[in-house]
Amino acid sequence: MTAIALRPPEVVMRLKRLGAAHPTRLSFLRQLIRRATREKWRVRKDRFDLDDNGFGRAVYAVETPARTYSLVAFSTPLDDEKRSDRVIAQAWDTSYVLYDGLPDAAEVARLEANAPLQEAGRYTRSELVLARANKSVRLFEDVVAVLAQGRQPDEEQLLGVGYLLRTTAVYGNGKFGIADRDEIAARPELAGSFQAEMLTVWLIRSFTLDLVDHIACRRNPAGAASLAPELRRALGVGNATGLGMAPFLVRHPLLTHSWFLARETALARVRAEPHAGAAERDIFSKALADLRQRVARWHSDDDRQAAATRSLAADLDALAENLDRLLAKAPPWDAVYRFAEDKFSLEGQEACVSLILEPHGALVDELGDTMKADETPGHAIDGSVTCGSLRQALLDSYSWAGKVDFAEPSANARFWYVSAEKLEPRLGERFEEDGAELEQPLATARDALSLAAALAQEPASASVADFLLRRPEWRHAVRRAQIVAKFPYAEIHDNLIGADLRPVDILRAKLAFFGARSFDPRSDRWLRIALFSGEPLIEDVATMAPAGEAA
Amino acid sequence: MIDLSLNEVETLSTKAARGAGFSWGLAEDIGRAARRIAAENDNWGEAMLSLAENAQSFAAPDPARAARWRKGETDMPAETPLCPIRTAALLLDDPLPASALPLTIINVGLPVWLDAMLRRSAMRVAQPVGPVTRADVVVEHRAEIEQPATGRRGATNERTLAALNSFAGKTYVPESERSRVRGAGGGRVDDE
Repeated sequence: MTAIALRPPEVVMRLKRLGAAHPTRLSFLRQLIRRATREKWRVRKDRFDLDDNGFGRAVYAVETPARTYSLVAFSTPLDDEKRSDRVIAQAWDTSYVLYDGLPDAAEVARLEANAPLQEAGRYTRSELVLARANKSVRLFEDVVAVLAQGRQPDEEQLLGVGYLLRTTAVYGNGKFGIADRDEIAARPELAGSFQAEMLTVWLIRSFTLDLVDHIACRRNPAGAASLAPELRRALGVGNATGLGMAPFLVRHPLLTHSWFLARETALARVRAEPHAGAAERDIFSKALADLRQRVARWHSDDDRQAAATRSLAADLDALAENLDRLLAKAPPWDAVYRFAEDKFSLEGQEACVSLILEPHGALVDELGDTMKADETPGHAIDGSVTCGSLRQALLDSYSWAGKVDFAEPSANARFWYVSAEKLEPRLGERFEEDGAELEQPLATARDALSLAAALAQEPASASVADFLLRRPEWRHAVRRAQIVAKFPYAEIHDNLIGADLRPVDILRAKLAFFGARSFDPRSDRWLRIALFSGEPLIEDVATMAPAGEAA
Repeated sequence: MIDLSLNEVETLSTKAARGAGFSWGLAEDIGRAARRIAAENDNWGEAMLSLAENAQSFAAPDPARAARWRKGETDMPAETPLCPIRTAALLLDDPLPASALPLTIINVGLPVWLDAMLRRSAMRVAQPVGPVTRADVVVEHRAEIEQPATGRRGATNERTLAALNSFAGKTYVPESERSRVRGAGGGRVDDE
């Protein structure tokens, strides 16, 4: 077998490529679906107490081999003018918690007094995830109206949006008093990255589908239709994601490394495969056809994304035309990737990565288990190294940053801060707004170069421990430099405070690891996506064949 | 009392430490140490507030004094109490040779923090130090590094929480109308 090198971080970790990321079979929602299917998780509606307008409460209990988890959902009236995707909203159409176990009536009442308030409520270790979602107003009402008339909604209109409700925050890991991640990290079913959050969204999807059926049925008990099974399966859950998520990849360098390393290792393994069997070719062709169909429906008013999507469509046409010829080469999947690398847009290249992983579950799925990290080891600083060797390590790891001239205002144009109003990360204009003295430590390239310059002022043989004793302001940058030297995919290879930064690129990379599709940037700093569209419904996995997920 | 998750304890403590004047890197260390104090069911909130309130009244170990520790020589007292965070950071970054342990360090401020900072290293504070404002401390070798406790919470009272939030608030930037609109991508009501 030919060994294929991993794509290096200087290729993988550029913002433009992150901004073209596609979900793969290693994405977190796919990992969850595989486990749930394998273990035949069962879902039942423990409570569905909604009025004629769909307002009330519902509990969906999921039985996994070891434990039961419950989605507790609340649906409440909301004035149209209060419906906002922004994190600063104060009321929502629906709110949710993922509950550890099955809540009794008193627990549901406690949650009903808090979950609709979201951040203004208070939670306990029994709640694993807190979330909320708003209706996609136009589509939600249209679907209810059509179903109430006993008809099915127009498929193109439905799938053009792709979801009935859109989550605007999904909180985990101890936020607002919910359970710490440490408490669930040892449970196999929730040990992987964001598995509790993905389970919550998967359940929310079923609730939203049941919600439209319920309202339509109450409007016309004798004649309403239920949403057709193929439409239920095609719909996902929307999500609006803003700046708050962007610093995550920067603040969790070991975790970030583990995600990218797994995906790149999977790609290298598949490219090294000497043969393309009939089964693999068949799965690839189906995945390609599915993606082409999704791309045809992928709408964005964002000019860049619209152009990128058009390029992607052309790239996929070229891939389909050349597929047989490429797969006749050896090694076949490497030929496919090289063709993409040579001919395609970044969007097309990253879509190709996703497609060639798709038929190779047996080869790559176990890498999903490596996509998590105990970040404690990265916290320790080795102060015994010399200032000279740390400086050299910095210059090696951050050679890409040497091209950035931070004396130029455009390179130093932005600063990350936390807003006093909402306690959320924001991006400010350094030379136009107040507050730059309260900058968060996210200027990775600038700080690395500045640290290298500070180390150059020290005797090369001096220890880093002594340097930090005198210069504690460099402690965060030393810590990061030592992590990045050991974990090459830990750092984004671009300036995160430049005038040309588009935070949506960072958001898209993270969301692709979740399994998101239909990326729709609404500005340079927030976007909408869909999760679980076209994937199995959680209530169906108990009766599905384990391989059904990949088809 | 208010029951916080350990992640809330860590996040709030990191911000409060930064707000009290510690560098970002030290603030990260303090957040993790606060989490350990909370996980041990100690009063992390009072400890954190004492640290934030006294942050400016401690001194970092001077290099000459640190060199004495490394050589196993007897510590020299100083007038200003040692900062437990700066002291622990130095010991963690470049651990003392076995020959220098046990080491008596004179006049350490809020030694509970030295204890918490060293808790996941091969060193430890020999005797329980409790919530004293300053003490002489013996640092000794630890054979087994403790694993972090899980399944714990960090309770604290409302007054302490408010005071810590006040320190944390020093790291936040007040919103202007411009930043409110621009900072996260635009004000809007969903219309679709």
